[in-house]
Amino acid sequence: MAQKEYDTFILSDPALIPEDREMELIVRDLTPPDIRYKYRSAYVCAMISKSESKYPDRLWIRLGRGQLQEKPWSMKILKELNKFT
Amino acid sequence: MGNYTFYKDNREFIKALESYGELVTIQQEVDWDLEMGAIVRRVCEKRLAAPYFKKIKDYPGFEALGAPLATYTRLAIAMGLNPKTSIPEISDEYVRRTTGNPIPPVLVERKNAPCKDNILTGKDADLFKLPGPMVHDGDGGRYLATWHFVVAKDPDTGTINWGMYRQMVFDERTMVGPVLPFSDMGKMFYGKYVPKNKPMPFATVIGCDPLSGIAACAPSPIPEDQFTGMLMGKPVELVKCETCDLEVPAHAEIIIEGEVIPNVWIEEAPFGEYTGYRTSPREPRTVYRIKAITYRNHPILTVSNMGVPTDEGQLLRSFSLGLEMRKLLESQGIPITGVYMLPESTHHMVVVGVRPAYSNIATQIANLVFGSKLSPWFHMVIVVDEETDIYNKDDVIHALATKCHPIRGIRKYEHSVGTPLYPFADPDDRKWSRGAQVLFDCTFPLDWPKSDLPIKVSFNKVYPKEVQEKVLKNWKTYGFKD
Repeated sequence: MAQKEYDTFILSDPALIPEDREMELIVRDLTPPDIRYKYRSAYVCAMISKSESKYPDRLWIRLGRGQLQEKPWSMKILKELNKFT
Repeated sequence: MGNYTFYKDNREFIKALESYGELVTIQQEVDWDLEMGAIVRRVCEKRLAAPYFKKIKDYPGFEALGAPLATYTRLAIAMGLNPKTSIPEISDEYVRRTTGNPIPPVLVERKNAPCKDNILTGKDADLFKLPGPMVHDGDGGRYLATWHFVVAKDPDTGTINWGMYRQMVFDERTMVGPVLPFSDMGKMFYGKYVPKNKPMPFATVIGCDPLSGIAACAPSPIPEDQFTGMLMGKPVELVKCETCDLEVPAHAEIIIEGEVIPNVWIEEAPFGEYTGYRTSPREPRTVYRIKAITYRNHPILTVSNMGVPTDEGQLLRSFSLGLEMRKLLESQGIPITGVYMLPESTHHMVVVGVRPAYSNIATQIANLVFGSKLSPWFHMVIVVDEETDIYNKDDVIHALATKCHPIRGIRKYEHSVGTPLYPFADPDDRKWSRGAQVLFDCTFPLDWPKSDLPIKVSFNKVYPKEVQEKVLKNWKTYGFKD
């Protein structure tokens, strides 16, 4: 299965983001099977690493005004969270 | 009621734009993911004809119109005027039409409402079935609603509000966007629904007729559905929504119905904004949950692209803000000669022309406009005397640089209501919508002796009439072309 790609917005100093522990974040799907769903956002519970290869999915980082960071991180989504039930 | 030429829907307007050479029809497929946005952005920056996209990648059957009202020429066409009508003439016509009695809308049956050609409800009401563009690289999401309006109703008075509140697609059934607490819809939602923890029904109207869009931009106290009738000279045709007690323009292209959810926030932004920057922070904002989507056959999405001037948000908001100020100042008997808000200032700077009939008249003008409900959307007032052409940027800059005393002529207003979109504001001020405002008084003090008054040195001012006429008469024979 091809590697999935997501991105997320980091509103604080990326250096302060904890790694390798369950955390909740909003991610956008950049590689959905149906391309019409590109950029669909979701709250997920995930593990993330600043290493590009530690977890199965690639996670691109954007800062608060949309600035794309050069190197991607990696992520494993544990579950999608539904905020409306 | 007036007898005006108007276009009852987006499609008639597109034909009118084409007939006046104000449309470029793009048959080549374009990508909703940045390409369409980039084209619209360049059109705005170059002041070009509106792009009409016939094929959108991944969305067969959908079309899009970009930058529908980004120039005064297209505004004139929308109002049924000659495309070459001057800005002062368009302004006078707008004020004339919108000063009389409001014209309430009429309700039409569903069978006469093209916006009901297709109806999606339940799980079928999926926002990703619509070609919401990724407008700018780095935006927080796809902004389906960039040239549109949101319909809401006051639960106590039944008053209708149409307003342009940007909406970002979050997931299949969720949109999110800023609803500032001092906006009309903000007052309704945060003042009346949220305290009761009640969701507020809404309907987003995309691809409306141009005059409804202009009305939705106008900060008038008259409800926008009636204001549209005043601009049209006859009632706008509305139809009932599928899932709530709201009414929407029957001839619009796309309607999204749902509820604004109290006490739930989702992160929205960043977004390329009307100030020409990506300023307001990504932060938790107002949430819209959708229940239904209705649309015309072969729907035509309207797409605006906010950025450096000039897009329709800047142009129309400047236009209507300035003219509402004109109405306000005239209603107070201030001897103004005109009001013009420069679109290039991203509706931050307004120029007021006045006959300086008494001392400190500029301060009185600033106090009135800064004290009005129009105030959060601009922060610079330039008051000039009647010898300055308020529509001529060169003339205004000349007056500002020569008549405004660097200390006595500038008055600062602190602790104002601002917006999170002000690029100059401190991050904390943006968060709390705090602003500041300033008056530039470009009138000479009345107590100066007449002999001390500087005399403007221009062709029209310092030559006898007979010399001017002689020079003008011989201009071409001197060898000048124009």
